[in-house]
Amino acid sequence: MAEEQLVTFGLGSEEFGVDIMLVQEIIRIPPITRVPKAPPYVEGVINLRGNVIPVVSLRKRFGMDKAEETDLSRIIVLQVQKKVFGIRVDAVTEVLRLDSGSIEPPPPVALGMDSQFIRGVGKIGERLLILLDLDHIMGGEMNHEFSA
Amino acid sequence: MSQDDSKTQGVDIGEFLEFYLLDSQEQIERLGAGLLQLEKEGTNISLINDLFRSAHSLKGASGTMGFTPIVALTHAAEDLLDRLRQGKMEVSMDMIDILLAVTDRVRAMLGQVEQRQDIDTEYEDLVQSMKALMSGEGLNAKSDAGTAARGSAPASSAGAAGSDNPAGAEGSEGVESSEGASFVPLDFALSPAEWDKLQNAQIMGHGTYQVDVTLAPNTLMKAVRAVMAAQRTENVGNVLKIMPSMEDLETGNYDGFSLLVISDEPPAEIREEILGVSELTEAVVHPYPAVEKLKASARGEAAQEVAATAAAVLSAPSSGREAILESSSGAAVKSQSTRTFEKTTGNQGQGGFGVRSTTPASAPATASSAGSGTNGAAAGEGNTQVHTIRVDTVRMDNLINLVGEMVITRTRLVQIGLDLKNEHRTDPLVNNLNETNVYLGRLMNDLQESVMRLRMVPIGTVFSRFPRLVRDLSRKTGKDIELVLKGEDTELDKTVVEVIGDPLMHLIRNSVDHGIESPEQRRAVGKPETGHITLDAYHEGNHIAILVTDDGAGLPLDKIRQKAVSRGMIGEREELSDRDIANLIFLPGFSTAEKVTDISGRGVGMDVVKKALNNLGGMIDIDTHRGQGTTFTIRLPLTLAIIQALLVEVGDEIYAVPLSSVLETLLVQRSDIKTVGGLPMVQLRGNTLPLISLQEKFDLPKQENPGEEVFVVVVGLGEKSIGLVVDGLRGQQEIVIKSLGELLNNLPGIAGATILGDGKVTLILDIGSLIQDLLVMRKSQ
Repeated sequence: MAEEQLVTFGLGSEEFGVDIMLVQEIIRIPPITRVPKAPPYVEGVINLRGNVIPVVSLRKRFGMDKAEETDLSRIIVLQVQKKVFGIRVDAVTEVLRLDSGSIEPPPPVALGMDSQFIRGVGKIGERLLILLDLDHIMGGEMNHEFSA
Repeated sequence: MSQDDSKTQGVDIGEFLEFYLLDSQEQIERLGAGLLQLEKEGTNISLINDLFRSAHSLKGASGTMGFTPIVALTHAAEDLLDRLRQGKMEVSMDMIDILLAVTDRVRAMLGQVEQRQDIDTEYEDLVQSMKALMSGEGLNAKSDAGTAARGSAPASSAGAAGSDNPAGAEGSEGVESSEGASFVPLDFALSPAEWDKLQNAQIMGHGTYQVDVTLAPNTLMKAVRAVMAAQRTENVGNVLKIMPSMEDLETGNYDGFSLLVISDEPPAEIREEILGVSELTEAVVHPYPAVEKLKASARGEAAQEVAATAAAVLSAPSSGREAILESSSGAAVKSQSTRTFEKTTGNQGQGGFGVRSTTPASAPATASSAGSGTNGAAAGEGNTQVHTIRVDTVRMDNLINLVGEMVITRTRLVQIGLDLKNEHRTDPLVNNLNETNVYLGRLMNDLQESVMRLRMVPIGTVFSRFPRLVRDLSRKTGKDIELVLKGEDTELDKTVVEVIGDPLMHLIRNSVDHGIESPEQRRAVGKPETGHITLDAYHEGNHIAILVTDDGAGLPLDKIRQKAVSRGMIGEREELSDRDIANLIFLPGFSTAEKVTDISGRGVGMDVVKKALNNLGGMIDIDTHRGQGTTFTIRLPLTLAIIQALLVEVGDEIYAVPLSSVLETLLVQRSDIKTVGGLPMVQLRGNTLPLISLQEKFDLPKQENPGEEVFVVVVGLGEKSIGLVVDGLRGQQEIVIKSLGELLNNLPGIAGATILGDGKVTLILDIGSLIQDLLVMRKSQ
């Protein structure tokens, strides 16, 4: 049976997972430069070894409350459709394998957050893992604008 | 051959297209420049030869790629140049005009090829006018056409027509020549298996042939040619082996290759089939001797044959003087061109068959000039290597990026070193570290400079298109103008070179149209009739200065002033220096031309020039003297990747303002800031200066206890200036411009980002968009 390898992370009380193939690296939070007039969920830009990449606050994107930065806070640097950006998460928990069979489609009323970001829900015993659809995290509307 | 044809050959032209375009564009530039020189110098045989060669290789490459219209044009041009070369025609204005028109047309066609469009540019008219030009001396030409050595028009046109109708008209001739001349079989370095195959074929009574194929001089993509020839040969038989190998053929400099063919068809058939491939000037089919015979002589003559080409020519008993002449002329042709040459086993068969072959024009016609060539010359070809390579700019940019990154990292290293020194002042290890840092710094500077230099190209590449422009314009206006180019070797960043062309062209058009007077006027004021426009470039610190100077009438300052007053651009009594008045022409909507001409009066004013230069972080200045001429001085940064910036503080944030747009900085009392129509303004030397508070503009948190004074950075773009209200100035620094990436592209007021010494990202302000925003706000008020 096909299985997926996921990087899982925590955000508030929820646990999320992203496809490991999209993860470029996981870094501690460096100084973030705020970008005026950027979409509100863009926290700013960081210097990733000479490349300037945007960082999305997942909390803001999902309409959660702001949280203080802790020792566990991380930025997961992703590469989606050749675009590199980071997502800020509360903590990276683990890397795990998940059978495709135990992934269910997103529930119609999706956990109080926009369902366009959710690809499905993974079940590991009692744990529920929200699998993210990253194509829309970094401004779905912008994708159209710049694809031309 | 048509495009379809080349596809049936199974060779993908796509991957060669890029190479073809680069090369062809180069050839076209060379042709264009050469023609202008020819016009000046008249009959210069080596120049004509150069031009001929450019046209020829252009034709050949286009033929292979299947671009028939380009072939037709360049072929006719080649014929015309050939007449010139043989002294059958004189250089005339008309001829230069037509040939220049050909280069324009071909350039347009190449443009279409580049766009992956079909070529639909008309070309028959030019071909006809070239033919008409040639027919003017048609009678003389005919008398010479008979001599075989001359590649006169009929023969060479047949060679070129091969690209259209594969079976060349001169079909059987080459086969005959193979019988007449001596032939020494080539050692194909066959593997044992191949030997067996050959032997079997001979035992079975199949014909075995060695086909010596000659490539036209400067043929591109020789390996492709060989593959195509081999594939065609497969129609009539089997190709056992090609010499030299594909790799050698592509990288080395061979002027031909040989095929070992097993076939039951008559030699003429094989030859015809092969000559269907364009750029193959000759294919001579020799029966390949029986295997036993070959083996017997392997230690003798044949081995010697393989080793040395000069020896081959000498040892070819009956080839006689003509063969030697032919072969040495071949060498001479090569030595004149810029490529590397290596005589190797590939072309040794030549001495045997070259005598009667009908190669298109080029080789035989240079025979006269190569008469002094000896066998020694053929053997002693040097190994001059090509000294340039083409590199994808993306790779280069990546390298530059990495070096920039190293520079930043080193800055941090230095900072750490200094911090350590403060704590452990006496530790020798810390001193060692700091010394090493200093040395690393020097290395980094050198490295950075070397890498930046990779992107540098001489400005001559831009200048080179202007002689043609001036020539055309001066003919159109009836003025006598000479363009003088200086400092063509001055280098600047490729990105700047790409965009500087249009502004320069505008300035030159302007000088031709308005600057230089008509010959009559010039005579009347005692100036030489020929006007001069000088283009000069030199380095000036981190900038490049480009000067466009004419010795014309100078700007009519009084007229400019009147006009500016009448348009309300300046007050009637305003005191202005000559220079200030001259600079008025850069205002939008300003044109003093009494009559609108199609040269500079197109409604595009000097303001466009200025704007284009400002966008590049450059400036333009005028120096004009009535009756003596005008000089436009352009100053541009050497590169667009690294700029000087003023770092400003707003709250906790730091922003970079490109220094090229900073006019001055002021310290202003808060109480002096007045609000006019809802917008903050400050009085500056009698003018009101609109202000933008970056804190408000960027929705930054308000400062707790703002001081009495604020800093105002006065920035200007073109004629508009505004003040940016900031909390502090951090000083000036060189910064490397980085993109924010496509996800955050096009944010208002932000031009990009850079990374400072502490590793933090700092945003670069887009002054142009800030000014525009403000103007829009004002209008909406």
